[in-house]
Amino acid sequence: MTELTITALPAAPIHVFEIWSNAADVAQRFEAASGFALPAIGRSSGTNALTLIRYEPTVWLVEGDVSGLSEVLGEDGALTAIGGGIVRVLLKGQGWRTLLMEGGVFDAESPNFSIGCSAATTIDHVNVRLHVLSETSCLAYVPLSYSAGLIHFWEEAARDL
Amino acid sequence: MINFTFDGKAYEAQEGDTLAAALLRNGIGLVGRSFKYHRPRGIMTAGVEEPNALVTVGEGGRAEPNTRATDVFVYEGLVAKSQNRWPSLSFDMGAVLGLAAPIFSAGFYYKTFFGSAKRWMFYEYFIRKAAGLGDAPTETDPDRFSQRAAFCDVLVVGAGPAGLSAALEAAEAGKRVILVEQDSILGASLIRDPQEQDEAWIDATAEKICAAGGRILTRTTASGYWEHDLVTLTQRIAEPGQVPPNGVAQRLWHVRAGEVILATGSIERPMAFANNDAPGVMLSQAVRTYARRFGVVPGKRIAIATNNDDAYKTAEALRDAGAEIVVILDARPTSAGADSGFHVHNGVPLSVTGAKHGLKSVSALVNGETKSWNVDLLAVSGGFTPVVHLHMQAGGTLDWNEEAQAFVPAISRQKVKTIGGAANPEPIFTVAPVSNPKKSFVDFQNDVTLADVDLAWAEGYRSVEHLKRYTTLGMATDQGKLSNMAALGRLSEKQGVAVPEAGLTTFRPPYTPVTMGLLAGAGARDAGAPTRRLALFDIHQAESPIWQPLGYWFRPRAYPKGRETLAQAALREAQAVRTTVGMTDVSTLAKFEVSGPDAAAFLEIICATTVNKLAVGRGRYTFMLREDGFVFDDGTVWRLAEHRYLLTSSTGGADRMATHLSYVRNYLCPHLRVSVVNVQEHYAGIAVAGPKASAVLQAMIGEYPPRHMSTVPAAIGVTPVIVLAASYSGERAFELYVEASHAATVWAACEAEVMARNGSLYGLEAMEFLRIEKGHLVVGGEIDGRLTPHDLALDKMLNKAGGYIGASGLSRSALSEPGRKQLVGLEALEGTIPEGSMLIRLEGEAPQGHVTAAAFRIIEGGSIALGQLVDGFARHGEELIATSPTRNQRARVRVVHPHFYDEAGERYRD
Repeated sequence: MTELTITALPAAPIHVFEIWSNAADVAQRFEAASGFALPAIGRSSGTNALTLIRYEPTVWLVEGDVSGLSEVLGEDGALTAIGGGIVRVLLKGQGWRTLLMEGGVFDAESPNFSIGCSAATTIDHVNVRLHVLSETSCLAYVPLSYSAGLIHFWEEAARDL
Repeated sequence: MINFTFDGKAYEAQEGDTLAAALLRNGIGLVGRSFKYHRPRGIMTAGVEEPNALVTVGEGGRAEPNTRATDVFVYEGLVAKSQNRWPSLSFDMGAVLGLAAPIFSAGFYYKTFFGSAKRWMFYEYFIRKAAGLGDAPTETDPDRFSQRAAFCDVLVVGAGPAGLSAALEAAEAGKRVILVEQDSILGASLIRDPQEQDEAWIDATAEKICAAGGRILTRTTASGYWEHDLVTLTQRIAEPGQVPPNGVAQRLWHVRAGEVILATGSIERPMAFANNDAPGVMLSQAVRTYARRFGVVPGKRIAIATNNDDAYKTAEALRDAGAEIVVILDARPTSAGADSGFHVHNGVPLSVTGAKHGLKSVSALVNGETKSWNVDLLAVSGGFTPVVHLHMQAGGTLDWNEEAQAFVPAISRQKVKTIGGAANPEPIFTVAPVSNPKKSFVDFQNDVTLADVDLAWAEGYRSVEHLKRYTTLGMATDQGKLSNMAALGRLSEKQGVAVPEAGLTTFRPPYTPVTMGLLAGAGARDAGAPTRRLALFDIHQAESPIWQPLGYWFRPRAYPKGRETLAQAALREAQAVRTTVGMTDVSTLAKFEVSGPDAAAFLEIICATTVNKLAVGRGRYTFMLREDGFVFDDGTVWRLAEHRYLLTSSTGGADRMATHLSYVRNYLCPHLRVSVVNVQEHYAGIAVAGPKASAVLQAMIGEYPPRHMSTVPAAIGVTPVIVLAASYSGERAFELYVEASHAATVWAACEAEVMARNGSLYGLEAMEFLRIEKGHLVVGGEIDGRLTPHDLALDKMLNKAGGYIGASGLSRSALSEPGRKQLVGLEALEGTIPEGSMLIRLEGEAPQGHVTAAAFRIIEGGSIALGQLVDGFARHGEELIATSPTRNQRARVRVVHPHFYDEAGERYRD
């Protein structure tokens, strides 16, 4: 049996960071304020205090300390809290890629889905966002109402990877 | 040795035996009874094409009927039972049907069972008793079934010499490769006919494929080829009836491949002659497989009938194994086989006679004379049919190979190619059957003979598709793998055309039978529906509520105390709201945060009411229209800050509303400076309602709560909340929105204050009572997508400036003509109003409307309801009948205004 742990992490501040105008200016302001650039689509970047994951052309998921981001956005975008409705599930071990293929439709086994990559996909009918942390760990952002069912699904599936 | 039982008797098998091999090893040749005539049947093949040896394997919920004995590997404790026989396999009373075979010809049902449907139900009972295969288990399957996705550059189906070589080449070229093999070991034809590529070559090749990153799946069948090179694989992790090692019995793979290589080989064809279905008649390659792979020789005195060279390999294998080859009947007119060292005659079998587990004799037409030999086994080879099923499922076409008398894969519109034996079948010599067509079986599983094909032709069935359906040829679990070409040959002979001109039936997935559990996957026990759990689930569960499914959600319907019924609990809860205070969980409501300088402009497109005049801290009821002008959802909109709004809408319509907002934002209004974020799950919602609701709120937030339709940010302890003063119950009421991760704290604080005032929790049932009495609408009830704002008496709230979605549709004149259904209230004059009942004026007249929701007056008692009634606004005071014929319930009702409680709305205010 492949060793794999599935852990629901404590609730954390998670926001949606959306830009509707002057994207280049916002990107410059962001880099100046945070010290790193906004990540490209399907990628993540950040520090220990702040991580941004880009899931849509104009939308980033932000985890961590968002103080100052409203100023970065100004009138060009909005920051909205969504963390109450999301459970972060850490998949740790060699089998996380195989696990994500269970009930899935996304190629999590692709070598191109490497550290820092992200994806928004559906697993066992549940909309899930994935973020590759390392070769042996991946963080899944799961809607709260589906989390108990999906974690149970993963735990069952992990018994037979 | 491995122990197993067949029909209750214990036997021993060897490691790696299929059930068929193990039965033959134990001298058992009679394995089943045929579908229609209950004729004795044995083992004909060594693969998935087996039509005869169908057994039930396993017990209880794990029992798997119609399992091919050739496609299950024996494990310790395997329990197998024969099917379709009574009282026993040896002495089957049903075999008497065989005597009446002449009247059970093709089209028997169509010609015999006339009359009403009721009479058919009578016939059907006996038909089902007499015919059929195994019985489906009635107990729940205790095992799990997995569904897994996979992606690859190259998918190779079939691990024979061609498939192994192709997979190795692709893997060594750096491609992601998946190789699948339906057998438990690799090699396919190499297992039967080791050549230069022996077992060591197979092992070495597999190792190289794996070392290059390839994945090899055994006991895995490519069962379906779909659009965009999606191939479904069915993998047996446990054998039928076996307890799976980790709980998962089977896995359904969804493989998306860049390219698919089919190395699926070919299936040997039987020959048509009298009694060719008897135990002891087997396919030549199958006999060779049993001899070489399993070390089992199914006969001692053996005859071989063939029209090709391959069967001579069988003769050699059997001779090497110590059996006597009595005669080889070679249908080819030349001197084929003359130098083989065997007794070869140019001839074709006419018939066989049989004993219980094998044959007694075979007779043949040799040079115009009938000759007979005493044999216990006849191995036949009528040529080879390439396995083109997946190629055809992929939308490919076929070419006719005249030499092989077989269809072979041609072009395909998908990225698939066929290699190996499936692309290059061996040449054969075709001989038309010469024996009694009434005893010469074409389709063994459905008991279809050459005579049935002839009869269908005589009765005018020209199309191969009609022939198939009239005779049932090619149906059932084997899907005609052995029978289709023989039937086509006969049909083309009748038509006087070449086989390709006779047509071909459609190849549909699955290639081999797939269990229902595998298709259902992990969701089998929930009917495939995921379950959404409230953030406060554990708190509710501690109160032992009656749970109500609502979409994917489960919500408390009521919290019964003691021996209360649902109705008693709901009435008590609703009375608490009317007299003191109640609280309920409204977390499932759809909620969207709309931010940006253009947020109000965006909402004025979404909502049919005005929005931009709302002051900060104020809210209002709103509703939304489809583009055709009909109301499809309603809710509230709140201005939380200068450029920030909260929009709520119905639980049931939440996903639809999210899609609608996304469509409007991204397609209709990409220019707006606005962000629309779904915060349905971010905020848990708690509603507090009743005359003492203000007191509860004040105690919690430390200040006087906002007036009706106002909102303030507040804190309960250190937890921030948004307080919305809104009422669905008709009482002074509030909704508290809190980040779901902190909801338990707020619920506990709220519950303490509510209980301190003799209040109560209330569930969906009480909420329904309250809102019906108040005359509030619900999506899915009164708002059913067929009424306009005018029909629902909402027209006075429409944004007079227009500009909202549905404004144009609403202006259509037909929507303001008389005769439309309109919202009304109904009060019972006698009886209880049945929910969902029809509204009629007199018995026998057509319905003029229906009851959308029914309840009782919470304090005074009495049955009331809301409904839709033609021209309802003008019919207040009229008496009607609410009738539900299907439930045999009716009540006399009076049409009234749809507000039964506090019509002036005074109770919203302190």
